[in-house]
Order: sequence, then structure tokens, then C-alpha cells
Amino acid sequence: MKTLRVLVSYLLVAAIVILAAVLSITAVGSDVTKAFGGFLRGAFGSVYGMSEVLVRATPLLLAGLGVSIGFSSGFFNIGAEGQIYMGATAAAVVGLFLPGLPGPILLPLAILASLAAGGLWSAIPGFLKARLGLSEVINTIMFNYIAINIVGILVRTVLKDPNYPLPMSPELKDAMALPVLLEGTRLHAGFIVALAAAVLVLALMRKTPIGFAMRVVGLNPRAASVAGISVPASIIAASTLSGAFAGAAGAVEVAGIHHRLLEGISPGFGYLAIIVSLLGKNNPMGIIAASLGIALLQVGSMSMQRQAGVPTSISWIIMGMVVLFILARTTIFGFLLRGTTGSRA
Amino acid sequence: MIDPILPAATTFATAAVRMASPLALAGLGEAYSERSGLLNIGLEAIMLSGAFCGFIVANLTQSINLGILAAIMGGLVISLIHAYLSVTCRADQTIAGLALNFFASGVTSYAFLMRFGKTTNLAKCPVTPILPIPFLSDIPFLGPVLFRQNAFVYAIFIAVAVSILIFSRTEWGTSLVAVGENPRAADSAGLDVGKVRYTAAAINGGLGGLAGAALTLGSLGFFMENVTSGRGYIALVVVILGRRAPIGVFLAALLLGAADALQFRVQTLGINIPSQVFIMFPYVATVAVLLFSFGKSLDPGALGQPFERGRR
Repeated sequence: MKTLRVLVSYLLVAAIVILAAVLSITAVGSDVTKAFGGFLRGAFGSVYGMSEVLVRATPLLLAGLGVSIGFSSGFFNIGAEGQIYMGATAAAVVGLFLPGLPGPILLPLAILASLAAGGLWSAIPGFLKARLGLSEVINTIMFNYIAINIVGILVRTVLKDPNYPLPMSPELKDAMALPVLLEGTRLHAGFIVALAAAVLVLALMRKTPIGFAMRVVGLNPRAASVAGISVPASIIAASTLSGAFAGAAGAVEVAGIHHRLLEGISPGFGYLAIIVSLLGKNNPMGIIAASLGIALLQVGSMSMQRQAGVPTSISWIIMGMVVLFILARTTIFGFLLRGTTGSRA
Repeated sequence: MIDPILPAATTFATAAVRMASPLALAGLGEAYSERSGLLNIGLEAIMLSGAFCGFIVANLTQSINLGILAAIMGGLVISLIHAYLSVTCRADQTIAGLALNFFASGVTSYAFLMRFGKTTNLAKCPVTPILPIPFLSDIPFLGPVLFRQNAFVYAIFIAVAVSILIFSRTEWGTSLVAVGENPRAADSAGLDVGKVRYTAAAINGGLGGLAGAALTLGSLGFFMENVTSGRGYIALVVVILGRRAPIGVFLAALLLGAADALQFRVQTLGINIPSQVFIMFPYVATVAVLLFSFGKSLDPGALGQPFERGRR
């Protein structure tokens, strides 16, 4: 009974959001059937469309996994965006300054560098929280802006491509490119890396002592402390791991898609990753589904714009509404959920 | 020697104050919110909503006053949604704010494209005139910098003065702090925690909406997608730097406005330093300030935490 009512409340959320989408589409004077048709054709109508969903999902999945490690350990990582930029920078630097190495050595090295850079960028706010009690929410936002501007400075100065007027680094050698999985698409091996990362995070959080310690600290720091778990050490470990995965998202974007470092390498993936982690309930399998869902929404709405003239910003309305209604669900649909065993569903 | 420097300094400082005005207004609002324990990351959404509503109404009616009113309402709506989620639903405030940022960015750009389409000629709205204050504006340097500005800058002076009075001289100002520091104790003392927080959120929404109007109606005269471009997040920095005190927030906004103006200056002068060096400065400064103030926590005790009666 309880699960049924909870399910109904989620279905109502979905119905409201779909209704809002229909109203928005009609408001711009587009045909709803044509718009939804365009959405589906864009995402599922071709191999290329489907591959684009996976391409989009790759950085969201990696960064979302990172954010989830932080969330389950009580480290509220809003800084995935900056960590992606730092990871991308580290990967590009490895590619630019060690050009002679063959791919099988260069690529793992670049990913390792991005893990280190993203991890370090997140460990600083983690340290500040663990040792000095400074709020990570504000600090990680600050570090986002610092990272984005550092990349802006680098691609205009030391890493600038001298043969090109725009602020971007020179193109990386072919050895730095992640192999394309499907001829004629942009789908690259980074997607496999991201899936492997999900399994890794699952094992890390559920099967290792450090994962256990981090989760206990996330649930109840005082109990963790009483049980002999070092709360500051766990927070620092969680923040570092959290940033490392976000950093890897930067590396796969450089090595899989752009093949150089440029400004705007992440169009808000780090912020979307927070939504992904939230919708995936901090569970790696849920995060895979959530990253695919968000990617689908974005790819589909781009096609909806091309085919039915609906602005792509509809995807941001939908994403925002989904999260807002999920946050308000237990209150708005309290009449449904009241009387179920356990006061909060 | 002096002659060319003074006019240049005046121009620069005037620009800095103008750039600071949205940050100061939004920062002041957020100071109310955070003092009551509500950390609203959705300040960007509040400003964006204010900027859009102000623009669209001013564009349709050609009335700046109606535009400003609409901007305040626009900010209010977003802020009250945030308060509803954080106070009534006891949801995570940061996630609620972030989701509102997505939502407002989507809705404003969608509605803008719906109304005006992708045209090359920008839709315009009237811009608030410069209102020099008699006598005061004739003072050298300070006159033009502070008293030859638009209504939004004067609104800051009033808001700062009123906020100082409210925070330090009224009972409500004290209850604001009580609710933010220890809602349980405040509740036991008979304060309505939810009501205080909703009121603080409403003030935040109004001032934040005004801040958005300061952008579209105060200086630009047009709207574009995501016109606030992260200023809501910068205003959060202003609040921390200014330690949630009215004067502090105002000075912090001036500092960031100066950094902004400096960056434009450097670009126009063609100096070969990437402008990012200057853009980055306020963030580094904030982290440094936070670092040097460690030991004594500056945050209200219950910042970001929902309050539920009868729950520990």
C-alpha cells in the first residue's frame, strides 16, 4: 500500500511536469505531437542520436558519481564544475607536455593527472570544512569561479595555440584521443570508463572500510566519532574522492570530444551533476539512469528545437520543475502519503 | 599633473558604484535571509526573475515604475518558493536554490524567446535617468560618484540605513538573529520561527528583484538570456565578505564593483593582462578572508538547517 501511494505521488509529479511542458510548447505556437515526435526522433530516431545521448551522459555520470560520494559523506560538493575544469587542464597539460608517449601510457597518465587535479581542487574546501569548520557550499562555488578563470588565463597565455586567434590550447596529438567506439559518431571510450567508475564507486562505498567510514560520517558525525572514526579524515577523504571523479569528467571531455583545452569546456556539467546525483539517490546504478535521463532530455530538446521550433531552454524548465516538485513531494501530496506507516515517505 | 587623474578616477569610481548596485541590493536581501538561517543559493534566480519581469513590463508599458514593481514581484515569487521548500517542506535549501536557478534560467529565456523570437534588433526598455542630487552632486569626486547616479544607487543608501536600524534597533532584528542562531530556543521563547523566516525571505526576494531591475532597467535597457551571468553567486560572496552587516555588504559590493570596472578599464586600455586575472580577484579575496577569520565561526548557528518543532 505504502509503495503504491509513493508511486502515485511520483506519477503526479511526472504528470504536472509533462502538463507544464505541453503548455510551454503550445505557448510558443508549436504543435505538441510534432514537438514530442521531434524529441523522440532526435534521441532514438537514429544511431547518431542515441550515441549523442551516451556522449552527453558520460561527463554527467562521472561528475555525478563524484558529487554522490560527497553527498553520502556529508560534503556538499557544489564545486564539480571547477573540478571538471581542473581535471581538463591537467589532462591537457599531460597531453601537451609529454607528446612523445604512446596512447596506452599517455591516456592513463592523463586520467591520473585529472583525478589528482580534481581531487586536490576539492580537497582544499574539504580541508577547510574538516579542520576549520568553513562551509563547503560557499567555498566550492568560489573555487568554481577561480578554476574557470584559471583556465581562461591559461588558454590566453602559456597554453595558447600561437597559430590560432581564439583563446584555446593547441590540438592534442592523436595518441591523446580516446578511441571512438562507433564509426561515424562521437561516442568514445570515455563512456566505458564512466560505467567502470560507477561499479568502482559502488564497491568503494559499500564494500570497503573507508567507504563505510565515510557513509557513517554522512549519516551521523557524532556517532561516527564515538565509534572511533575520524570525522575530519573522512570528510577530507570524501572531498578528495568526490573531486577526483569530477576531474576525470574533465579529462574524458578533453580526450574524447574537444582534443584541446578551451574555455567553456563544461557547459554547466558540474551543476547538472548535482541534479544527477540527487535524482540517482546517491546510488551508482541510479546515477547511471539519472545521467542518461538528463542527457536524453537535453539531446531530445535540441532536436525539438530544430524540428518544432521549441526553445531548448524548455529542458531547464523541466529539470528545475522535476527537482522542485521532488523536494516538495511529501508536503504537497501529504494527503496521499499520510496514514502510511512511518511518518515520512 | 592632478588634472587628468581626477576626472579619470571620478569616471572609474562612478562606474564602480554603478556596477556595485545590483550586488549591494541582492547582498543586502540575502543578509536578511541568512541571518534568519535560510541560505538561498537561488539568488541568481531571484535576480534573473527580477531582471526579466522588470524588463518585460517596462517594455510593454514604457513605464519604469511599473517595471520596478514587476521586478520586485518577480523576485518575491522565486524567494517565496524557496522559503516554501525550505521552511514548510523542510527540503535541502541548497538543492532548492540550485533547482530554482535552473528553473528561472529556463523560464526567463523561454518566455523571452517566445515574446521576441531570435531577432537581431534587441527589444528595448526604458532606462532610469541619472538624478543628480542638488548641491551634494557638486562636491568634487564624491559628488558625482555617489550623488549623480540613478534611483537604484539611492535605493541602496536607503536600504543600508534602514537595515542598520532594523538589525540593531528593532525587536524583529533581534528575533531574526535568534531564529538564525538557535531556532529551538527562539521557538521556546515564543517566536514563530516559520513566520520570521518567511518574512526574511520576502525581503530577500524584493531586494533581489530590485537588484535584477538595477541591471535591465538601471543600466542595460534590454534583456538577454541569463543576463545576470552569475551575479547572484557573486552577491553571495558579497554577503560573506561583508559578514552579513549592511555597511559590510555595501563595502564588499563596492570592492567587487571596482574589480568589475577595473577589468573593463584594462580591456579598453589594451593592457596585455587577461581580464580573468581581475575577474578572479574577488573570489580569491573571499577565500582569503574566510581563512583569516577562522576559529570564530561567522555563520549563524542554524544556517541551512530546517527547523521542525518537537524534533531533535
